[in-house]
Amino acid sequence: MARESSMKRKRAVSNFFSYLLLIIIVIIWLFPFFGIVLGSFRSYNPAVEYGGIVDYVIPKHFSLDNYRFCLGDETNYKRWYMNTVTIAFFVSLLQTIVVLCVSYALSRMRFNGRTLLMKFWLILGMFPGFLTMICLYFLLKQVGLTQAGAVPGLILVSVASSGMGYYICKGYFDTIPKALDEAARIDGASRARVFFTMTIPMSKPIIIYQALVAFMAPWNDYVFASYMAFGHDKSYNVAVSMYRWMNTGDYQGYFTRFCAGGVLIAIPVTLLFMFLQKYYVEGVTGGAVKG
Amino acid sequence: MSNTSVAKKNPVGSFFSAVGNVFKDIGVIFVQGDWRTKISYLIMGFGQIMRGQFLRGGMYLSIEVLFIWFMTSFGSKYFSKLGTLGTIETYKKNRKTVYGDHSFLILLFGLLALFFIIFLLFCWYKNIKDNQKEELILKSGKKLPGSKADFLSLFDSNFDKTLLALPVTGVFAFTVLPIVFMICVAFTNYDATHQAPTKLFTWVGFENFKNMFSFGTGGFGRTFGGVLLWTLVWALLATFIDYFLGIAVAILINKKGIKFKKFWRTCLVMTIAVPQFVSLLYVSKLFDSAGIINGTLMKWGIIDSAIPFWTDPLLAKVTIVVVNIWIGIPYLMLMATGLLMNIPADLYESASIDGATPWQMFRHITMPYMLFVTGPYLLTSYTGNLNNFNVIYLLTGGAPKSMSYTGGAGATDLLVTWLYKMTINDTDYKMAAVIGIMVFIVTAVISLSVYRMLPSVKDEEGFQ
Amino acid sequence: MKKKLVSVLLAAAMSTSLLVGCGEEAAQTVQETAETVQETAQETTEAVQETAEAVQETAEEITDYGTGEIKIWVADAVVDFTNKQVADFIAANPQFAGYTVTVEAVGEGDAASNMITDVTAGADIYGFAQDQTARLVAAGALEEVAPENVDAIKSQNAAGAVVAATVGDTLYSYPMTADNGYFLYYDKSVVTDPSTLEGILEQCEAAGKNFYMDLTGWYQVAFFFGTGCTLTYDSDNDGNFTGCNVDYDSDKGLVALNEMIEVAGSKAFQPGSSAGDAVNYAAIIDGTWDASTVKDFLGDNYACAKLPTFTGSDGATYQMSGFNGCKLLGVKPQEDENKLAVCDALALYLTSKDVQLARYNEVGWGPSNLEAQADDAVKADEALSALSEQFAFTVPQGQYPGDYWTNAEALAGDVQNGLQGASEDDVKAALKDFQEKIAAAR
Repeated sequence: MARESSMKRKRAVSNFFSYLLLIIIVIIWLFPFFGIVLGSFRSYNPAVEYGGIVDYVIPKHFSLDNYRFCLGDETNYKRWYMNTVTIAFFVSLLQTIVVLCVSYALSRMRFNGRTLLMKFWLILGMFPGFLTMICLYFLLKQVGLTQAGAVPGLILVSVASSGMGYYICKGYFDTIPKALDEAARIDGASRARVFFTMTIPMSKPIIIYQALVAFMAPWNDYVFASYMAFGHDKSYNVAVSMYRWMNTGDYQGYFTRFCAGGVLIAIPVTLLFMFLQKYYVEGVTGGAVKG
Repeated sequence: MSNTSVAKKNPVGSFFSAVGNVFKDIGVIFVQGDWRTKISYLIMGFGQIMRGQFLRGGMYLSIEVLFIWFMTSFGSKYFSKLGTLGTIETYKKNRKTVYGDHSFLILLFGLLALFFIIFLLFCWYKNIKDNQKEELILKSGKKLPGSKADFLSLFDSNFDKTLLALPVTGVFAFTVLPIVFMICVAFTNYDATHQAPTKLFTWVGFENFKNMFSFGTGGFGRTFGGVLLWTLVWALLATFIDYFLGIAVAILINKKGIKFKKFWRTCLVMTIAVPQFVSLLYVSKLFDSAGIINGTLMKWGIIDSAIPFWTDPLLAKVTIVVVNIWIGIPYLMLMATGLLMNIPADLYESASIDGATPWQMFRHITMPYMLFVTGPYLLTSYTGNLNNFNVIYLLTGGAPKSMSYTGGAGATDLLVTWLYKMTINDTDYKMAAVIGIMVFIVTAVISLSVYRMLPSVKDEEGFQ
Repeated sequence: MKKKLVSVLLAAAMSTSLLVGCGEEAAQTVQETAETVQETAQETTEAVQETAEAVQETAEEITDYGTGEIKIWVADAVVDFTNKQVADFIAANPQFAGYTVTVEAVGEGDAASNMITDVTAGADIYGFAQDQTARLVAAGALEEVAPENVDAIKSQNAAGAVVAATVGDTLYSYPMTADNGYFLYYDKSVVTDPSTLEGILEQCEAAGKNFYMDLTGWYQVAFFFGTGCTLTYDSDNDGNFTGCNVDYDSDKGLVALNEMIEVAGSKAFQPGSSAGDAVNYAAIIDGTWDASTVKDFLGDNYACAKLPTFTGSDGATYQMSGFNGCKLLGVKPQEDENKLAVCDALALYLTSKDVQLARYNEVGWGPSNLEAQADDAVKADEALSALSEQFAFTVPQGQYPGDYWTNAEALAGDVQNGLQGASEDDVKAALKDFQEKIAAAR
């Protein structure tokens, strides 16, 4: 009896410390977000408060000025936002299709040069991407997909090389028993039929994972996107334009507007992520094992 | 030792014997083939069309037509100048500027033309082999598959070609071509003072590599060594610290008796959903010498003067590693959560019956399992961290700088961020290309040598 | 006569291309013929025009400038302003009505690096800071100013601005502002006497406030030039650097570097020169472009002054110096002379006295035009007058190679870290190393 209660007490103490640790961790992890959200409610209007960086977190006056600025007509923020949504949507759609195609071919079919192709792509992936930026710029410029055409250009580049990111998806396909395919093929179904009517419907988690990851990436792309837009304001995505707010001398005191813009980006991405978190975990876990 | 066994052991030898076979094939098929095959040597697809395989033959023919059109209208004028990268200088006529050769485009499209030529040669050889195969089939009295059967095979036995055609082309045009291009740039003098289209640039051989490894004043050797060392150390720290702490947090949340598991996880996962250029820029301002952390600590009287998080070289490195924990743990936590559930529960049960402490169970059950399963992940994560641009660039931009480094590199610069600065700020493409090649070599050497040692690699082969 | 010549050439071109074209694919031939015809016609027109111009000077007024598109890159703050001015310009000059002008927001730094990366895709007219001039010329991104405009620009603008726009002995761009310099903004309630650097730092420390100053290349010369050091580079007409004149590795240089180390060691010191990122400051060394941000932050305590003096390690008192520079408007080399003429006219207009004054009234950019500088409103501007007071002690910024800025930034890093508390010998060694590196910069 006494031992049991001491065990209980021990467990309670250990739980207490666990909770304490968790609370501290969560505070540290969420602090930047609170900072950004609170910053977004500080007015940049000098009559009310100040738009630059300050040494306090909680604004002295609550204001929606920054959101009014972002959603108003003073900047092209709405345009930039729509550009990003467009890029994210098409990249997500097309990249998923490409990855599915490549993964199926590499997982299910045996053809000449298959391992050679896989090894070749693995080696290609070891080259740093920035190196190719200027070259891609001139390639796309040749076909008119920079500056005014930067949005389709960015989609093209992101989709074109996405076949190389097949690892996780192929790993998933590898776990679907081949016997299922064989049975269908004995019944006279073609490869294409098996792919469309059997493999794809069975791969919902990995499709959602691929689409989610592809959708999130364009929101973060400022280096390449700014190269492609090449000064053409209307082709910027949110990352490029907002990065300017923080790093160009022309935009002093834009910090709170940057925060508000950041919150507006974070909302859809976070919501999507929360809803599809289950699939994301599945993809990350699977990907870790497969490498 | 016979000749064939030497060829087998020696990759160079086997390559040459394969090439020899190809030439032999070309000759033999020409001598033995019928007139349709012979004409196919000149007009690709001719034999196939004459034998009624219109789809196949048409494909070959259109490839040839397209190739000729491309070379005459576009490719040849660049390809022919590939050796010099252009000779005509830009000049002025009155006040009008007349641009000369564009070295950049000559190199780029010259390479593109080279790719097309290799592609055509490959198709040409295929076309000949195809002819031979058809002749053999016809000789043995069988019928050739018609165009319709050919077409349908693209969705069945040849479905891989349908699936891979576009992705492979995309990779060639947008990854292989640019990489080959930049490798070539490393052997030219393309930099700020040789900027196309106004100035020409040309081949200089290994000049840039010599500069990279020269240790005198102005040479890049010392800086390269320092940046490389930090890159390797950083990737090691970033990978393993995150790894162990991530697993620890996952275990903490999974612990019996902890409620609201989903809530804790969701809070951490926020860092993945919010774009890094927003959150990391905020964090970098947070640690600024006049930022909120320093300001608050000073207000509370804990410190007297600001802690130089970003300005002291060593402290800046430490701060980056710490901030990277903030970024990395959520991924690892998610991953570990999934994997921990896969560990058979009876292992723990029997261990606890034997009186094992939680720490012993962690050391002898959890960790070995995790390390075994996540070996490939650790490797990709390590190579990923070698090239982790965002974290460094958004937090410090490579600062603090010091005169002991040349080429604009700072104490926290990785090879990639240094490379990026060289391209964007200094337009020193030739040195950037050299660094890019170095990054590749480092990544490849580490990946290949570690990959062979992974315990789980052999098991994985079973799947493929 | 002109018409006749064109038609003869046209017919000739058509028939030859038809003959040649017989063996080729039809579609391509048609297109090519059309192009050839167009080109021939254009060339003929040009040739005819040139002769006409040579013979009759009066014919110039009726020159057909044709049509085209002109792209302008300026900082975001002046996009609307520039659009308005361009519209006025086209309205006043109907002969240029065939040109469509678009104005895009590209900051000075981005504009310069974009122009260097790909001059063909860059803007036809663009604003940039003067430190980029040599790089832009070397990259072939700047056209020489039209010879007929050179004398007027040289006589109407501040001498420093003209120096900034010149490489070798050629004028390459149009001075737009002459306010690219720095001075002191301070909080009246904290800093009561802004005349000495020591006093400012002391008062900031006492009040727990920050003192912001950037120590990188553009700002550190405030110390080096202040103690009497010099640093200039020689360049040829193509923007290539040929030599360096520097005497940093001397007693004067040592005093300057020691002072930098001392300032950076102050508790109040923060590195930085952008008011929007500065926190809790009572003094900041910054330029006019941040005037409104500083005003927002300091409110009623806002005040400006020339840079302070400092007492060097040798006991003498020195006035802080610095660069004075300007923003310029450049025209990129054109493949069409008519378009170049339009760009020249437009750039000249956008940097004229009236437009400079209007720009000052709209966004507060200090003019480089001498008459505009003499305007009462400009003279009454607090920030601009502090700047012009400071300009008495500064050096017109010539051309400096990229390696200078890189090395100077590295020195700034060392001043804040490695050199803090370093021995006299180490400081001397660092100074010697720095001089060697910047002297080798090209």
